[in-house]
Amino acid sequence: MVFSSILFLFRFLPAFLILYFVVPKRARNLVLFLGSLVFYAWGEPVYVVLMLFSTLSDYIHGRLIARYRGKRAATCFLISSVVINLGLLGFFKYSGLNLPLPIGISFYTFQTMSYTIDVYRGEVEAQKNILDFGVFVAMFPQLIAGPIVKYKVVAKELRTRHASLEDMAEGAGRFIIGLGKKVLLANNIGQLFVEAAGTAQENLSLLMAWLSILAYAFQIYFDFSGYSDMAIGLGRIMGFHFPENFNYPYTAVSVTDFWRRWHMSLSSWFREYVYIPLGGNRKGLKRQLLNIVIVWSLTGIWHGAGWNFLLWGMWFAVFLILEKVILGKTLANLPKFAGWIYTMAVVLVSWCFFSLEKTDTIILFLKSMFGIGGAGLANQEAWYMLGNYAVLLVILAIGALPLGKKAVEWIKVRCAKGTKAGPVPAVCLGIAEKLFFVAVLLLSIANIVDASYNPFLYFRF
Amino acid sequence: MKKINAVITLLLLGGILLGLAVADICTPDRLFSEYENRILASKPDFSLKDLFDGSYTEDYETYVTDQFVERDRWIFIKTMTDVLLGKKEINGVYLAKDKTLIEKHVPEDIKPEVVAQRLALLQRLVEWQEGRENGALHIMLVPTADNILTDMLPDHAAYYEQQELLEQVQETAGSCAIDVTDSLQSHREEYIYYGTDHHWTTRGAYYGYLAWAETVGVTPVSYDVLTVSSDFLGTLHSKTNLPVKPDTMEAYLPVVLREAQGSSTSDGGVMQVFYDFSEESRDSLYEEKYLETKNKYGYFLDDNHPFIRIETGAQDPAAKGKKLFVIKDSYANCFIPFLTEHYETIYVLDLRYYKAPLFSLLEECSEEGNLDILVLYNVIHFIEEFQYY
Repeated sequence: MVFSSILFLFRFLPAFLILYFVVPKRARNLVLFLGSLVFYAWGEPVYVVLMLFSTLSDYIHGRLIARYRGKRAATCFLISSVVINLGLLGFFKYSGLNLPLPIGISFYTFQTMSYTIDVYRGEVEAQKNILDFGVFVAMFPQLIAGPIVKYKVVAKELRTRHASLEDMAEGAGRFIIGLGKKVLLANNIGQLFVEAAGTAQENLSLLMAWLSILAYAFQIYFDFSGYSDMAIGLGRIMGFHFPENFNYPYTAVSVTDFWRRWHMSLSSWFREYVYIPLGGNRKGLKRQLLNIVIVWSLTGIWHGAGWNFLLWGMWFAVFLILEKVILGKTLANLPKFAGWIYTMAVVLVSWCFFSLEKTDTIILFLKSMFGIGGAGLANQEAWYMLGNYAVLLVILAIGALPLGKKAVEWIKVRCAKGTKAGPVPAVCLGIAEKLFFVAVLLLSIANIVDASYNPFLYFRF
Repeated sequence: MKKINAVITLLLLGGILLGLAVADICTPDRLFSEYENRILASKPDFSLKDLFDGSYTEDYETYVTDQFVERDRWIFIKTMTDVLLGKKEINGVYLAKDKTLIEKHVPEDIKPEVVAQRLALLQRLVEWQEGRENGALHIMLVPTADNILTDMLPDHAAYYEQQELLEQVQETAGSCAIDVTDSLQSHREEYIYYGTDHHWTTRGAYYGYLAWAETVGVTPVSYDVLTVSSDFLGTLHSKTNLPVKPDTMEAYLPVVLREAQGSSTSDGGVMQVFYDFSEESRDSLYEEKYLETKNKYGYFLDDNHPFIRIETGAQDPAAKGKKLFVIKDSYANCFIPFLTEHYETIYVLDLRYYKAPLFSLLEECSEEGNLDILVLYNVIHFIEEFQYY
């Protein structure tokens, strides 16, 4: 099931939330676990068994590692856990057997690995209650598209959590914002990318190439961060505090900065469980650069088995290394705007590798981006697309660069200060906020009903 | 204060979700959507096999979405937001500058090999014609609205240029080809295409008739114009469901024939229209009953029929004994009434429904070679549909 569907919004979610809040507190984890299984099995009636197996396997491994902590056996069990998780991931994702990829497998295997590794390191207690552990793995809000929640972050909340009315309202608002990002913004600009990708290569002018890659950049950001917002919001309604996954990545002023803002739960996972164990930056510059190459190769192939994802990761590694070695100082001395332009250029080119997959398509596309394609600087098709999507692109820019967020903050400050006629009552802001939520929700429903076009990009990973 | 604020947010958002969920469950399922002109998904039958191969859950989602409460209204909201966002097209229909709708045909959709195949079929027809001693052949391809009302299209909008194809037809058919582009171009300020439908208007067809008469060498008849509907919302409206000005539909009644409508003409001739080899005839080319439905264009020649025979009861002595065979698309439906004063018998064939050899049918309909032939399509339909055996 996906969040942005009539079935989820008007069947699953109301039924689940009512059940969750009417049962006694101690039964809530059971409701959450069973609800999550229904949620998952709806789209994956067979692979749900795989997820249960993974859950059981890591539960047992966790217990065994804790029992033999400090002994050789613990290391063996840790290795066994990691091998099983990576084995599952490798078999379904990289074996080339053409099996359909179980939804969310890249996310839940990383979550459970964080658990067994942290138990081994003694950072957390092993979970004795199998239901609580099951909730950690299967919990539907972040099950299929993240954020990747480390066990230690939610360990306490798995047992006892409390959601105040304010928490719940904040969670509900966050969910609506996420829904709007996904349905109103990502899906609609996604059509520009689809239409542009449909134009013949010889019609791909410079303007068209930039428009379509810009569309893709917006689509993937609003799609993925929208989904994270919905997950975080749903978690908050139940009293969970999931980590943030995005922090306005398109405002980054260096590639290093970008990766502190993009898919933060994934980069933090790799930092904690790969980069730092490999020595991080503590073993000299050469070793650090090697570690960067390793981590970003892994980040690349985590997204898919295609070589283009590896290339995508390596592309970033190159700039991260350049920034470490020489560019960093130069960037620090330049105006922020220059750093932003450079970063956006690197990121937009990276989306070519990410989205186009085939070598010859990528090469032709890059040629067009730099004006050496067949169709020149701009053609009728490109101008038409620009006219069709100009308003939406402006809205997207306002959302991504957070001009909208800044404007709201500015208004809040102004309201607090008050006007000549006196202070603006907080009620006005409250009403405006609620009207905004209602409008986003209703428009999202309209878009969901209208669209048979509702593919969720991150399902492939 | 903060608590009240939170409670209001929760009640508002939760109320909308729950309220709509309850309303949705309580609303009975609909079989058909007038708005979308299609059958809506119904509740799938459960089986374990369908559950495990995923088709049950997929069908169930389609069912819930198709049957969602006030579905049409939600779609309308989405369409209106698209318009507000400055979208220039919706579902393959351009929003033209004069607030009308024009169907979109892009060059990418036209396959050169298909065009070549259609031209080859045309060539065969021309060659067959050359072997005949009597009877004329004419080819009349009508450009669609995007090619005539080009300046009404949104800025930079792509459209398939039909002139090249028309020139190729000219080359293939030579003097058999009738050019209607010039005639339509010179009347482009007039009401020659519907604003909510993909057909030309009866007035557009009238200018086509003038071009035809000039090429064929007959004197056009004069007509009285009768408005038959002023609330026609056609196919393009159905695709977009935008609030647009309804079209006016007209019938051109020959001054001579009008007296004869439904009754004997002065020399005793009666208009007889035989649909699909039926023995029973009707006495008019127009079917009033369609004016009460959404498909008002069906008024002309009773919508679409594979084969029609018309005994026109024409009074003009020059028409005596003359026969015409029309191979056509729906553009011809409002055009054929213009021909009734010039022929005694008119056969009408829609190739989409005819899978037997065309030439034997033509032979069958001709008496000692006495049979004129007219191929009448709009350019797009010609490319999509002109196929015979």
